[in-house]
Amino acid sequence: MKSTQTDLNNSILHQLPFATALVDSSFNLIDVSHTWYQLFQATPDVNNPKQVFKFFEGHEGCTPELLEQYLIGNDIRTIRHKVSSKEGISWLESTFAPWFDDDKNIQGTIIQTIDIGRQTQKDIELEQTKELFQATTEINNIGSWEYNIETEKLSWCKMTKQIHEVPEDYEPNVSEAIEFYKQGYSRNKISMLFHKILQEGASFNERLQIVTQKGEEKWVAAGGKAIKKEGKTLKIFGTFQDINQQVIAEKRTKESERLLTTLIDNLPINVFIKDKDSRKILVNKAECNYLDTSPNELIGKTDFDLYDNDIAKTSRDEDLEVMRSLTPMLGEETINARKDGSITHFLTSKIPLLDLDGKAYGLIGMSMDITNLKQKEEQLRNLINVTAIQNKKLINFAHIVSHNLRSHSANFSMLLDFLIKEKEPEEKERILGMLSSASDNLLDTLENLNEVVDISTNVNLDKKSVNLNKSIERVQQNLSAFLEKNKVQITNTIDDSLQVKSVPAYLESIILNLMTNAVKYRHPMRVPEITLEASKEPKGIAFSITDNGLGIDLDRYGDKIFGMYKTFHNNKDARGLGLYIIKNQIEAMDGYITVDSSINKGSVFKVFFYEENE
Amino acid sequence: MKKMNSIFIVDDDPITVFGIQKMLKASVACENILAFHNGKLAIDQLRQDIENSIPLPEVIFLDINMPIMDGWEFLEEFLKLPIEDKIIINVITSSIDPSDYHKWNEFRLKCFHYLNFKNKPIFKIETTDLSRINLAS
Repeated sequence: MKSTQTDLNNSILHQLPFATALVDSSFNLIDVSHTWYQLFQATPDVNNPKQVFKFFEGHEGCTPELLEQYLIGNDIRTIRHKVSSKEGISWLESTFAPWFDDDKNIQGTIIQTIDIGRQTQKDIELEQTKELFQATTEINNIGSWEYNIETEKLSWCKMTKQIHEVPEDYEPNVSEAIEFYKQGYSRNKISMLFHKILQEGASFNERLQIVTQKGEEKWVAAGGKAIKKEGKTLKIFGTFQDINQQVIAEKRTKESERLLTTLIDNLPINVFIKDKDSRKILVNKAECNYLDTSPNELIGKTDFDLYDNDIAKTSRDEDLEVMRSLTPMLGEETINARKDGSITHFLTSKIPLLDLDGKAYGLIGMSMDITNLKQKEEQLRNLINVTAIQNKKLINFAHIVSHNLRSHSANFSMLLDFLIKEKEPEEKERILGMLSSASDNLLDTLENLNEVVDISTNVNLDKKSVNLNKSIERVQQNLSAFLEKNKVQITNTIDDSLQVKSVPAYLESIILNLMTNAVKYRHPMRVPEITLEASKEPKGIAFSITDNGLGIDLDRYGDKIFGMYKTFHNNKDARGLGLYIIKNQIEAMDGYITVDSSINKGSVFKVFFYEENE
Repeated sequence: MKKMNSIFIVDDDPITVFGIQKMLKASVACENILAFHNGKLAIDQLRQDIENSIPLPEVIFLDINMPIMDGWEFLEEFLKLPIEDKIIINVITSSIDPSDYHKWNEFRLKCFHYLNFKNKPIFKIETTDLSRINLAS
């Protein structure tokens, strides 16, 4: 029966203008129109019935499972499927309808397929665009508006109304719409732009402020574009976006940026940011001022471009260490020398800059100029040194005084005690003689001490430029009898024009003492020879006096030679005061004295006169 | 009166020497009271006496501040001398510097001899300045 029906329908089906296929309940093709074969790019083979699935093989959007569902369904269903072949891509739309017999029993399925070709792709694209547009609109708060020139009708979309905070049934007109803009710049601007787009069709997109229905000020981005047909503007389509938060955030960022820049720029500290290769990527005003240049000159430079190699290397090593260890270097004292040689002391901190992975990509540096502080510290240290020396001298002097005065007073006490107990007149006389000499000794001591005190207290010394040879001549004249008696031979190689900065009286005292010492402690077997020399040193004049006398055992007496009441030879005239006094005089003039000596050969005393006058 | 063979006074101040001599005369019978102006002269004398087997002084009065060789330097040298008998050394000074006292104490502790410390002025020679035998035994 089935075959009879098939034969009967054959001719009709073949000739159908729409591609149609008849499928039985076992999914075998019963009959197919020629057009169907064409669409599915197959050839008819009636004697070899095929499963319908075979034809849909490789079609996108249509799996065998889906197909089976459609084939056994009780209702009409449509499916779109894509066929890729050598000729290209084509889209088909197949409709599946159940095939009933007279008794309403399902016999199979009728499939009708049409070629929907490229249209579908466009439809899909449009749909996608619509979806995208809607999504974007929702996400970005973008609304739209449209103005029909002919009808002068302005319409707002839902979003635009929301932005204006007007009810959904609100119907705007142009002048009302413009009224929403904030008075002043925004309203003027939009009026002008709207006028321009009407007249010239000029598109716009502007950030402006509106005041909403509820009185709230908002930043919006309003855009407009003329829709033309044959050169004539028909409509204006526009966008309307709420950008209030964005603008406020931007403003805030700008404000905090400005705050930061102002802060960094005006800090009285050199601030710089370096990248991984120690190139400067940010510098503040103080840093520019320090290097006497502009930020543009400094950006991209390393310390090697700005400083000497040694200094740059030290700095680079610090940078590397900070970036390697990720430990900030805080408050380190550093010394920097500019190319012109001027030295600056800094208190420097370097803090590593970390990226999101915790790796250092540079560092922030801060340097505070502490040169003044350093100088003050140095001055203070010098002052402390001077004070310490003075203090030591004072203690020393106090001991000398106490010892010397005590020894005399002890003698007085002892002698007076004797005198009281003594009965013999002769012995009494002797003790009185002793007392008188003790009294003389005390006076001598007091005089000596006075001389020393004079030097030490004479702080406002009047140093003058004194001709050294003239001073020597004067001393020689005063000593002429003494020198002649001892047959002293003097060699003087000092230039007649040489001047030294000295207190004139001290200079003569120094020459006198050294010269008399040279003779006093002469070698008994030799004629005394004295050589006077002077040389210019970087900071002053070194004057030396060399003798061929007894010499002094410096290993034994070195530390005592300039001490008070220290004598080292069996000499009746030795008071142990001369060298002590001249040492004080020399030091009072900021100079110093040294001695070099060897026993039985002679001694060299060298006096240094400081050149600079304060 | 106590009898003694020899006493040294080492001091560069003639008045102190005079005073000590005078006080000694009152308390001891001694023929050889010798005075030296500095430590060097005294140490030279001691070396000579040892060489010539002359009996050494039983007591030495020693000043600290002296030229050429001071009291401390004398003590350093003195301790090196080969002396078997204990000698009483009276260190005499007008100094009230505590460091002098400490130095004396250091010497006293390392010294085989008897060391006394006397501050000037001296009005009297104490028995301990001349004899320590009774106390030692």
